[in-house]
Amino acid sequence: MKALVIVGHGSHLNEDSSLPVYEHAARIRERFGDEYEEVVECFWKEEPSMRHVLDTVESEDVSVVPAFISEGYFTQQVIPRELGLAGPVTRKDGKTIRYAGPLGTYQGMADVILERAEDLLGDKEVPPGRRALVLLGHGTDLNKSSGGVIYLNAGRIRERGLYDLVEVGFLDQDPQIGAVVENLEAENVVLIPVFIAEGWHTRETIPEDLGLTGEVTRRGSKTIFYGAPVGTHPSMAPLIAARAREAERETEIAQSPR
Amino acid sequence: MPKAPARPSGTPNVAAASREAFAAWVDEDPDGRVFGQILIRSASPAGYYLCHEDDARVASLELYDDPRAAREIAKLTGAGEYRPLKSSPNLRRGWELRVEDARGLAAAMDYLYPAGVVHWYLYREGRLEITDYRENAARQSGIYKRIQRLSDEGVQNAARACCEDAVCLKKTLWNVDAGTPLEMDRGNGEIPCPEPCSVFVSFARRVRLFEREKRRDLDDAGLSPSEREDLAALVEAAAGGAGGIKLAREAEFEEPLNERRLRYRKLTLLPKLRPEESPKE
Repeated sequence: MKALVIVGHGSHLNEDSSLPVYEHAARIRERFGDEYEEVVECFWKEEPSMRHVLDTVESEDVSVVPAFISEGYFTQQVIPRELGLAGPVTRKDGKTIRYAGPLGTYQGMADVILERAEDLLGDKEVPPGRRALVLLGHGTDLNKSSGGVIYLNAGRIRERGLYDLVEVGFLDQDPQIGAVVENLEAENVVLIPVFIAEGWHTRETIPEDLGLTGEVTRRGSKTIFYGAPVGTHPSMAPLIAARAREAERETEIAQSPR
Repeated sequence: MPKAPARPSGTPNVAAASREAFAAWVDEDPDGRVFGQILIRSASPAGYYLCHEDDARVASLELYDDPRAAREIAKLTGAGEYRPLKSSPNLRRGWELRVEDARGLAAAMDYLYPAGVVHWYLYREGRLEITDYRENAARQSGIYKRIQRLSDEGVQNAARACCEDAVCLKKTLWNVDAGTPLEMDRGNGEIPCPEPCSVFVSFARRVRLFEREKRRDLDDAGLSPSEREDLAALVEAAAGGAGGIKLAREAEFEEPLNERRLRYRKLTLLPKLRPEESPKE
């Protein structure tokens, strides 16, 4: 039997944080139930805790996928510590546990971001003129990976030539999102938060700071389209499964005798 | 990557064994079993009925037949508040869940009381590993590292405020450390608590913040700034009449009108305000 364990941050205060983890788990059960007989959710701030989730898993072959955007404090310290992982592969209690990388660095992430942008524009009238895609990350000066993953995806999307401009902006590091949007030379700005879940930032601070009035805000010659966070997009579910498969493949190669 | 510390563990098939043992335990009693706030009864010829224990004789319940519906049932209180701690005694009423077999029962229970069934099983088997507060605190990092400095007295009061049956139905099995047992009513329920949970860790962090200010900032009456803040907030809220007191969210410990925070004040502030009375009831 194979299990896929999705690790979310979770919240003590609201249901938004864990919701995408539950929804993606349900999608994976439906679409990839033959491959993963168990799909289990666990969290840092909700139950089941990472500390105890493996006791509830029957399978001997377990892949753990962190529902986090970037490598950092959680993926490198908290999750391995709480799950008792020793590296990419851990054997204990008769289980083989493979630890996958975060979602944001996976190559399929660029496709989900583009899908999110297409969904946003799909039913709307887009004025003529240049189109800019802006990836909005949290960012932090404490860890380069947090911003790095946003640049990584912007680079991958830029190569496809679908938008006149592809830029990045952040909440907690430079370049600040407000200035980026303000200075963009494009008539249409498509703003996609590269976040895992809806929350305080996506619902309150970002719209407030940027003066957004909803999905579409017209300001002077600019029209700003504001999308839902990429992490809640249904296509994240196959991406999570793909991340797990990749971890299984890579650790098989690493373990092979030759 | 940091070295993995020892953690509670079971045998490979502890999940399967716990599922079967739990179903058998329910089957044994024709009146059904109560686990947390759930009444579980065997159905004929197979399967199980689950409902809130207070709804045992209620006829018009909303019916569900998917074990995963348990997640929605467990998510919000009857008043629509988010439930960050599933073992809080605030499970909503008015529903009945029918599951087909032991597997469905375990799936439903894992949403109603996550990991509760496996812990129940390991505890009965004498194999549940307990992690005491100091051991849990020692591995914390980031904003929670400060709970390592919480005094023994602070841990005791935090556990009384945060873990007794009035606010959490789990039976608290952990201690401050191996030589310092918790002095509290550990609870009578079936769900064991083998380790401080994330809600407790967050509460312990707040209590540590209270401890720190106490040493520095007591006023002439011996009250700390946060104690004065809480008293002021209470007076202000209560002056609004019966409808004036609206408690903060369950795990919003930075808010004065949080139930666990007020329970902590009852233990630590009341003795200061009424020194002639015993600190305990």
